[in-house]
Amino acid sequence: MKGGNPQIDALWKSRPRSRALRFSAWFALALVGCVWMFSNIQVAELWNAHRLENLHRFLSTRALPEPLRSHSGESLWLWCNQQMQAYGWRGLEATLEISVFAIVLAGFFGSLLGSFGARNLMSAHPFVPHATAGHGDCSHALDRVAQAMRILCILLRAIPEYIWAYLLLAMLGPNAWPAVLALAIHNSGILGRLAGETIENLPAEPLRAMTMAGATRKEVAVAGIFPMALGRYLLYFFYRFETCVREATVLGMLGIVSLGYFIFEARAHDQYDVLLFLVLLGGLLVMLADLVSDLARRWLRRGV
Amino acid sequence: MEQPPSAFRLSRVEVQLGGNSVLRDIDLSIAAGERIALVGPSGAGKTTLLRVFTGVIGPRQGTVEVQGIPIHQLKPKALRKLRSRIGFVHQDHSLIPNLRVAQNVVAGRLGQRSLVPALRSMLWPNREELEEAHRLLERVGIADKLFQRTDSLSGGQQQRVALARALFQRPQSLLADEPVASVDPARSRSLIQLMVALAEEENWTLVVSLHDMELARDFFPRVIGLRKAHVFYDGSPQELDSTHIKELYQLEEEPHASST
Repeated sequence: MKGGNPQIDALWKSRPRSRALRFSAWFALALVGCVWMFSNIQVAELWNAHRLENLHRFLSTRALPEPLRSHSGESLWLWCNQQMQAYGWRGLEATLEISVFAIVLAGFFGSLLGSFGARNLMSAHPFVPHATAGHGDCSHALDRVAQAMRILCILLRAIPEYIWAYLLLAMLGPNAWPAVLALAIHNSGILGRLAGETIENLPAEPLRAMTMAGATRKEVAVAGIFPMALGRYLLYFFYRFETCVREATVLGMLGIVSLGYFIFEARAHDQYDVLLFLVLLGGLLVMLADLVSDLARRWLRRGV
Repeated sequence: MEQPPSAFRLSRVEVQLGGNSVLRDIDLSIAAGERIALVGPSGAGKTTLLRVFTGVIGPRQGTVEVQGIPIHQLKPKALRKLRSRIGFVHQDHSLIPNLRVAQNVVAGRLGQRSLVPALRSMLWPNREELEEAHRLLERVGIADKLFQRTDSLSGGQQQRVALARALFQRPQSLLADEPVASVDPARSRSLIQLMVALAEEENWTLVVSLHDMELARDFFPRVIGLRKAHVFYDGSPQELDSTHIKELYQLEEEPHASST
């Protein structure tokens, strides 16, 4: 910064600086230091000899598929096929079914929650600025409905899927429904919020034109908002679908039949090779869902 | 002989928006079938006046009559019905960008039907509706765009779709808010010419807000000039001389930037 034009040095000295930013950076650094020095989690525990030995045993023997471990001559392919027949296909099918059911329900209820929670739609004079004529004063009631919907969305998404499933399992017993409903409830809250924001960010002019030509709120919602918001809403829908697939696997750990359930069972029976196989299979399924969702979103984005 | 009711009649109308008077002491009577150019500087109240005609904005004082009916007496349903017969061409076209042209045109009649048939006709327009939309698009010169996506059209073409949508309403009056603000001079002239020709054919009342005095002179027998929320001039364009125009558009000491 030295030499040349002195004005540059003066401008550099008088540049706007954020105190908050500097404070946050120092604070974050101090926090990391404190955790490192004073917490009960000892980093050394990760590396003690016993643990390293465990890891070695796990990777070199227990997690190795049976045919490779015992050198019995049985083909690895055959072993994989057996695992697929025994658990894989059932697990994949159940996981996919749970996530598809859940996301369809969440998509439907999320769009309803979002529509009733959107402040621009739930106003006495939707989309017409300064409108004053011809309506009873229903704005307070509509405001309250919109507010209630937004609070409901917060509540639904604030409780994790796992907890919803845990509660529902007690009521509905060990079948797929607790998982489906848990994912649907949590994601309705998320999609409801996203749908509401999508509607609030739509350009008002085309919707205003419909209102000014005599269309009712419902007509504007279905004929104007639906086509304009659909593309963006589907982007969110596919993004949440991908998450549902992942979460459906995890929910199996609660005893609901999905990939997670078989993973849990494999561990309970000390079959770490099967466990690793199923974990990798779950990863593959999530990657596939990711790919499908990515392709769908890329295709949609062209028109959004 | 009894006089037919005015298309629009405003008596001592005052409109306030956000605490500011944007229209004051407006007395106007527009006969059915009249063609009017509404001129005046930005912020003079042209858009507000057009919205008062549609009954979207109510006056703080005074009365507004549309087709002889005082609109403050109307229930919401009757008011919607009244609006559904007033075609409005917006400056920014106000079309649904990702729908086809035919669907945007058919949307013009949303307010005249109950929910289910209105939505059916918008999502799946029947043959009859398509024929009508096609005929109107032919009239505005873009019949070949019937099934194009609306956002693939140029600004001028979209303005014509907006006009076709207003025509699909089978309106009694057509109001247009600066419809040629974003169109080049040649296209502006042809669009205004088209509006006037249609209004003459169908005997509509036509009120168009404009900034181009030449267009106002050439196509409209009556010009209403608004300045600072008042009617500054109301008469034939021939009598509107350059002194009037200068005075009408004269900058204020504290210019208002916002469009009302």
